[in-house]
Amino acid sequence: MTTRALAGVRAVELSEVWAGPFGGCLLGDLGADVIKVESYPRTPPTRPVQVPDWRVSPGDGPPYERSWAQHQANRNKRNVALDIRSPRGAEVMRRLLGTVDVVIDTFSAGTMERLGLGWEALHRLNPRLTAISLPGWGVEGPYRGYVSFGVGFDCVSGHSFVRGHPWRREEDTPGSTHSDATVPLSIVFATVAALRLRGRTGEGSFVDLSQVEQLASQLPWVYAEWALNRREPPRIGDGDPHVVPHGCYQTAGEDSWVVLIAEDDRQWAGLADAAGHPEWAEDAHPWASVPGRVREREAVEGAVAAFARLHPRDEIVESVQSRGAIAAPVADPQDHLLSPQLAAREWLETVDHPFTGPRMQPGFLWRVEPDPPSWDRPCGLVGEHNREVLAEIGYGAGEIDRLTAEGVIGTSYGDFPPREE
Amino acid sequence: MEQPFHGARVVEVGDGVAVAAASGQFSDFGARVVKVERPAGGEVRRLAPFAGDRPHVDGGGMHLALDTGKRSLALDVRTPSGREVLTRLAGGADLLLVELPPDECERVLDAARRARPAPGTVALTPHGLSGPYRDRLEADMSIFAWTNRMARQRPPEGPPLRYAPHTAAMQVGFTAAAAAAAALWDRERGGERRDIEIAAVEAHSGNVDTNFTAWSLNQGIAPLSAIRSVRVFPVGTYPCRDGFVQFTAAEPPFFQRSCAAIGRPGWPEDPRFRDPAIRPDYHDDYMEVFLPWLAERTKQEVFHEMQGHGVLCTPVLSVEEAVAEPVAVARRSFVTVEQPGVGEMLLAGAPFRLGGIEGDAFRALPAPRLGEHNAEILDELGYSRDEQIALFRAGVTG
Repeated sequence: MTTRALAGVRAVELSEVWAGPFGGCLLGDLGADVIKVESYPRTPPTRPVQVPDWRVSPGDGPPYERSWAQHQANRNKRNVALDIRSPRGAEVMRRLLGTVDVVIDTFSAGTMERLGLGWEALHRLNPRLTAISLPGWGVEGPYRGYVSFGVGFDCVSGHSFVRGHPWRREEDTPGSTHSDATVPLSIVFATVAALRLRGRTGEGSFVDLSQVEQLASQLPWVYAEWALNRREPPRIGDGDPHVVPHGCYQTAGEDSWVVLIAEDDRQWAGLADAAGHPEWAEDAHPWASVPGRVREREAVEGAVAAFARLHPRDEIVESVQSRGAIAAPVADPQDHLLSPQLAAREWLETVDHPFTGPRMQPGFLWRVEPDPPSWDRPCGLVGEHNREVLAEIGYGAGEIDRLTAEGVIGTSYGDFPPREE
Repeated sequence: MEQPFHGARVVEVGDGVAVAAASGQFSDFGARVVKVERPAGGEVRRLAPFAGDRPHVDGGGMHLALDTGKRSLALDVRTPSGREVLTRLAGGADLLLVELPPDECERVLDAARRARPAPGTVALTPHGLSGPYRDRLEADMSIFAWTNRMARQRPPEGPPLRYAPHTAAMQVGFTAAAAAAAALWDRERGGERRDIEIAAVEAHSGNVDTNFTAWSLNQGIAPLSAIRSVRVFPVGTYPCRDGFVQFTAAEPPFFQRSCAAIGRPGWPEDPRFRDPAIRPDYHDDYMEVFLPWLAERTKQEVFHEMQGHGVLCTPVLSVEEAVAEPVAVARRSFVTVEQPGVGEMLLAGAPFRLGGIEGDAFRALPAPRLGEHNAEILDELGYSRDEQIALFRAGVTG
């Protein structure tokens, strides 16, 4: 059983793709009972119904049960597939929301109101309920109704403008979905903040979470130059104006890269020794001092690059790290599979799933003693817990059958037959 | 509005961006935070940029952004004397967050657990407190390299790219704050004391934007981040009259809406574009209309016109433009703090608005000078004046 820190807390998650759903995972990892209510009969974007689709894992059964983008963000929760736009579905939703502590939605601003689930209505329905709404630019403000996606937040935050190589334009900076990783962290923090407040007031809170603002909170360096000196930050790529060397270098072999950094003279001595040039760190050498390396940045970076190009990546990392300087591989998923560190910590998880079979999955973001997180539920199937959850909120078996027959709840999309239960 | 973490007592120990960001969340939402830092000033205080490019331990942009509202105790926790002070401090705390090299970190954790009652603890390290890489030195960018994100950031030329400096450390800090908050709340309702460990590589590699799941479920194929795609379009960054705009509009209904926006509402039914399987063959036909349409418009015009059609499109903004966006101004997304010795400091505001944007659960207060609260805190802990002088003379406080 996973960590029990949030045991007893019930949450409903009305969200798609990553930022909201992974927030639900993290609440689940911490012990909350998270019920994902997914869009039905409209298929969620991470549940493709056509094959072949590059997002679908090989195997049998409906493709929407085998999509990695769905598996990536939906562990440790239950799944209800419900048409909340139908009158009977809306009634199920209202009854469910009467029994939970938190509801998370990622609709565009205004959609919850149109569904009759705006904050005032929710607060009347269940005064102890906290509602966390995370449209791109927030619930209130002039961009209500705008559609949004993680890569776009990176562009409007100033981040993609500054994070390219110095010799390239922002046009050539690859997209980043960084906010998908950071917004879920604030969903957890906001949930706990609201629970703590409720302990004093007895009432839930409304949380207006703008994903653009949340991403901005991750980027203090990006704003500090403007804040202090009214200058745009420099586009420094992989470099650092005050640390030399600080870069990403190609190693021997094809498309293999290493990050090498020496933050001070001691680390520089280690790196110089690993490169076979201990004299680079001796007092008489122009590169022995911090200002010397900053002055001769290009030459230093060039010498480090030449060293890296001659040796295999992992050999460089071992050799530099063992001499007390900073070195890391530009790792891909296979490196995680092969990492002795992650193996020693038994970090990767083998997770079984009815439609993909057992697969390796990444481990948790944190370790907790005495009750470590565990992968109690793999990614939920469409409507897997319809019956269980509806029974909990007072629906009898006959009513649940009728809701299924009427298409208010379901266990399949498109032309696929309902799953046998 | 009452602040949600009012009454919580948090101690931060260490030097890094991650732990400063973690306890900064508690501080900005009402907790009382003591920052225990090296007498010479740790990493966060030494990071650029600085006002007027003059380095000073009290004037760094990262320190001013992350240490808001904390009290500063300059204390050398590498000495037994420093750890004695720390044990007393921990006895009055609900939560202690540490970011130090593993050996030092463990000694600090031991000191904290000697307190009665002992606080919950959170240890932040690059690779964790166990395993063969335990003692490796890392930096923000090397952590980023380990997480498989850098491998996906491949511009047309040059090495793989990181995100902006300190972005990895910030994410680690927010990860720590999330887990710590849950543990704190449970303890307050009578649950058990917890020890949490955050390994930076794991905190990143396990997050949702990992490539590992895709790779594992998809037979070893992992996608790169798009720049401009020919296979699916419009996806990526395209030039317009005064800069660049970004689109994620290849999927229905966004592709159809993009056609309507550029004055070709019939294209979704056109044989060239109807079938996504052959659509890539007509990439140039689409661009022949799309690119001139963009070239006639500013990025703001493209943004609002496209959003008027419900297309996933944003402008690529500079920092100056991002701060001045109408939505940022209307929502007061950025706040100013009157920082003694520096003046008005502009900061990104609340990551979420508890109580809506009129709520005031988030409050960024000035950051402390190094050691500003030494006497106040040591008085509270019951150290006599002679004991305080003795600590100072021995170089334990500064």
